[in-house]
Amino acid sequence: MPAGHGLRSRTRDLFARPFRKKGYIPLTTYLRTYKIGDYVDVKVNGAVHKGMPHKFYHGRTGRVWNVTKRAIGVEINKQVNGRIIRKRIHVRVEHVQPSRCTEEFRLRKAKNDQLKADAKARGEVISTKRQPLGPKPGFMVGGATIETVTPIPYDVVNDLKGGY
Amino acid sequence: MGGFVKTQKTSAYSKRFQVKFKRRRAGKTDYRARIRLINQDKNKYNTPKYRFVVRFTNKDITAQIISASIAGDMVLASAYSHELPRYGLEVGLTNYAAAYCTGLLLARRVLKIRGLDQEYEGNVEATGEDFSVEPADERRPFRALLDVGLVRTTTGNRVFGALKGALDGGLDIPHSEKRFAGFKKDDKQLDADIHRKYIYGGHVADYMKNLAEEEPEKYQAHFSEYIKKGIEAEDMEALYKKVHAAIRADPSVVKSTKQPPMEHKRYNPKKLTYEQRKASLVERLNQLNSGAADDDDEDDE
Repeated sequence: MPAGHGLRSRTRDLFARPFRKKGYIPLTTYLRTYKIGDYVDVKVNGAVHKGMPHKFYHGRTGRVWNVTKRAIGVEINKQVNGRIIRKRIHVRVEHVQPSRCTEEFRLRKAKNDQLKADAKARGEVISTKRQPLGPKPGFMVGGATIETVTPIPYDVVNDLKGGY
Repeated sequence: MGGFVKTQKTSAYSKRFQVKFKRRRAGKTDYRARIRLINQDKNKYNTPKYRFVVRFTNKDITAQIISASIAGDMVLASAYSHELPRYGLEVGLTNYAAAYCTGLLLARRVLKIRGLDQEYEGNVEATGEDFSVEPADERRPFRALLDVGLVRTTTGNRVFGALKGALDGGLDIPHSEKRFAGFKKDDKQLDADIHRKYIYGGHVADYMKNLAEEEPEKYQAHFSEYIKKGIEAEDMEALYKKVHAAIRADPSVVKSTKQPPMEHKRYNPKKLTYEQRKASLVERLNQLNSGAADDDDEDDE
């Protein structure tokens, strides 16, 4: 009889704990706090059976919209047919990690604020926009010898020696 | 024989072996209990959840109020039974009565730190009955959860003596009277008189009296410190009453004036840090390069 399409179907490897990381999970997962609006990654921990999201959401990143006693509400985009729906799921904290997707942005924001404050103190006007990498500068190729290659005329006798 | 023994642990075994957490290997932390004690409701965000930790060594009792954080556990206040000589108790520092005193000392200390000590006096006269703090009008009592560690929680365990001390001191610790000394399993009731006896060291006093009559030599050997300090079996209750009063009067911490232990000479070289090793490598390479450059110049000439 065919295999079913149950809730946890095809998750044998997906929900498996990594090599030599079985057993009790480290306590920082329980000590982290999440606020509404934070970005979080959903990564299922197969050792905890309660509050598991569906396998679709494993590896997705979303925003926190609700915080309850032991779980977090996360809003994740899901493409259904032609449109993208904002799905709201509740996930226990063991299956959630803080996302680093905005880390670079936040650091850059802080640095830019600092730069702007410094420039204001000096009285300059600076642009903190990121510039894309331009074309590479020109350079002289060093140590090159010139070898002229010309085609040789077709020699029927020699080439047909192999067979025809 | 002698020489080769068949290896028990192959390299395959070692490669696949998953070590338990360090504190579990050391047998010091029960992670199942720890997870449940530390887990704070997420909708309480950063509100700390305090544990009332009681640990016994062979000669000392440690009572601490600890909250957990990712950097490490933070101790809010601590009390040790080796501080009790300051309040007049010099012997029997690991018995049920000393545990009570240590719990009481910790409770009064914490309440003083939090500014709650006027509002929550607790149970000034230790009667052995079950006492729970009544919440006052304005500020709620200081709440902590008992953390026994790896101890077997039998009725009459000294851990619960410390718990009783903290409760009478004015802390709000959820508990049941089932494990206090003097709980009768048949009646399913706490015999407050027996518990009171234990709090004031009555069980030790009885043993002292018993030995003094029946086996004087053993009495001399066993209670030699008591004899030296001149403590008789009848004095025990009065002694502990005085200690409790002294604790309530001044629970503040006194910094010890001991010198830090002297540093000993190292007989083996100290391990270098990563930066130091990289720096020494760069130095060696520079020397090699400059040495090689000199050699090349010499060869060319």
